Amino acid sequence: MSSPIETSPRHDASRLEPGSFRDPESRVFYAGEGVYRSLSAEGLSDFQALEQTTFWKKFSGDGRIVATELVEDGSELPPGLVKESAGVLSHERIPFVSYPYEWPFSMLKEAALLQLDVNLAAIEEDMISKDSSPYNVQFKGSVPVFVDVGSFERLREGEPWVGYRQFCMLYLYPLLLQSVKGVSYHSLLRGAIDGISPAQMRGLVSFRDRFRKGFYLNVFLHAKLEARHGDRGGEVKAEVKKAGFKKELIVANMRRMRKLVAGLEWSPPEGVWVAYGERNSYTDDDAERKDEFVREVVRSTSWGLTWDIGANNGRYSRIAAEGSRHVLAVDYDQGPVELLYRSLRGEGDEKILTLTMNLADPSPGLGWRGQERKSLPDRGAPDLLLALALIHHVTIAANVPVSEFVDWLAGLGTSLVIEFPTREDPMVKKLLAPKRDALHPDYERESFERVLSEAFDVERRERLESGTRLLYFARPKGAGSPIDLTAPER
Amino acid sequence: MDLPAYLDPGSGSMILQILAGGVAAVAVTARLYWDRILKFLKIRKPEEETVTQQEQVDSA
Repeated sequence: MSSPIETSPRHDASRLEPGSFRDPESRVFYAGEGVYRSLSAEGLSDFQALEQTTFWKKFSGDGRIVATELVEDGSELPPGLVKESAGVLSHERIPFVSYPYEWPFSMLKEAALLQLDVNLAAIEEDMISKDSSPYNVQFKGSVPVFVDVGSFERLREGEPWVGYRQFCMLYLYPLLLQSVKGVSYHSLLRGAIDGISPAQMRGLVSFRDRFRKGFYLNVFLHAKLEARHGDRGGEVKAEVKKAGFKKELIVANMRRMRKLVAGLEWSPPEGVWVAYGERNSYTDDDAERKDEFVREVVRSTSWGLTWDIGANNGRYSRIAAEGSRHVLAVDYDQGPVELLYRSLRGEGDEKILTLTMNLADPSPGLGWRGQERKSLPDRGAPDLLLALALIHHVTIAANVPVSEFVDWLAGLGTSLVIEFPTREDPMVKKLLAPKRDALHPDYERESFERVLSEAFDVERRERLESGTRLLYFARPKGAGSPIDLTAPER
Repeated sequence: MDLPAYLDPGSGSMILQILAGGVAAVAVTARLYWDRILKFLKIRKPEEETVTQQEQVDSA
């Protein structure tokens, strides 16, 4: 079997990953198509210890830790490294980077369990990860992969589980909020790169929650101890060491945490389950024709990355996967994304990445200089984009002008399958009903087609049988052979 | 060499790990709080420790 790592030569264009500066012992950079990591002398020595362990062989062998090699050639490091490089690792490239504030509940839970499993295995061989950030886990389709190889270090005598607090802030509290309180954590994690502090979490829950599993210790007592000892960092560390903090304690705490996390569940409201299995407001003929239209486009060539925005139950993401290397399935509603993730995970799918996001307010660049976390297009623009049964939600429900929406799509430089439901469509009527009559004059077929053909080369148009929905296939301007949209459709 | 972790483990979080460690934690908890218990019971005087620290500095 060939190595999954693309080891293209590193040359002048090598550049630092702006989100990987926190740990000075280990810094990710890119060169060509490759993903590399520069290690300091300490980092390299930790990696050499790591390579000798059986857990490393096991987890990197079965893909739970990202495929990694030590590269002999140490040339062409990017400028700006804080610590001198003593060695360089080459990593397998993750097809599309995603963040915990875009993951449905089960993805965050899977990432949390992987984080704990990796550490429970590591600690048997006296190694531990120096942090517990979900940003250290990425997904290949539905499969979680631990990517921060640089975070393993040798366990130091007398030190506690350094990442415990971070685990609470970025994994446990978000999962508890969703599971027990029914509050979505996405805006909270997107709002603060370090997550939810113990004091904040304490303020978000009620007195009776202290009797629920995991709350008293991890939330109430944690917040209390932090308030009391918050300014005694170095002192407490020395006291803890002197008291003889030992490995067994870390293991006991990690096991307790694993049991707690494994027991957390969240299920979308019943209505989501019902809608998940149904075809919204379509006749069977329409649905079949739409499948065919999408399938024809998907199979017309081999696509690299396809975005299915407004993916709902993932029906078209699955069709897209037939002819794309990778598919991004995005929906505003966490419910169907959760259900889609569960079924893809059950199938072991490695192609379709499921994310939840409001497309009228998509993930921006965040963190230091707005560059630690990237906006969606900055992580990989699509070659093909499916916008099916979406435009009316963005333009009517979220008030984005039709021309703005089409302009955004054109800016991605992608080919496009887009569906336009006319004003007579039942769903459009429903969205327009609460609005004043004169609003959304731009939501008309003629003006949509004008805007679309100005921004794209529209190659195909088809009206579905029921008459209120039209499908279009378009290529970037100059890349296709446009048809005349003013002529009557077939 | 004892390198500091780049991530602050949090002092409250460190103590919590001892309190939450169950059976494995009993002896460690006892040692962590032993000094304070002795002080509380007035078996050890608070200034005793200051003197000890001073001695250590002197002998260093």
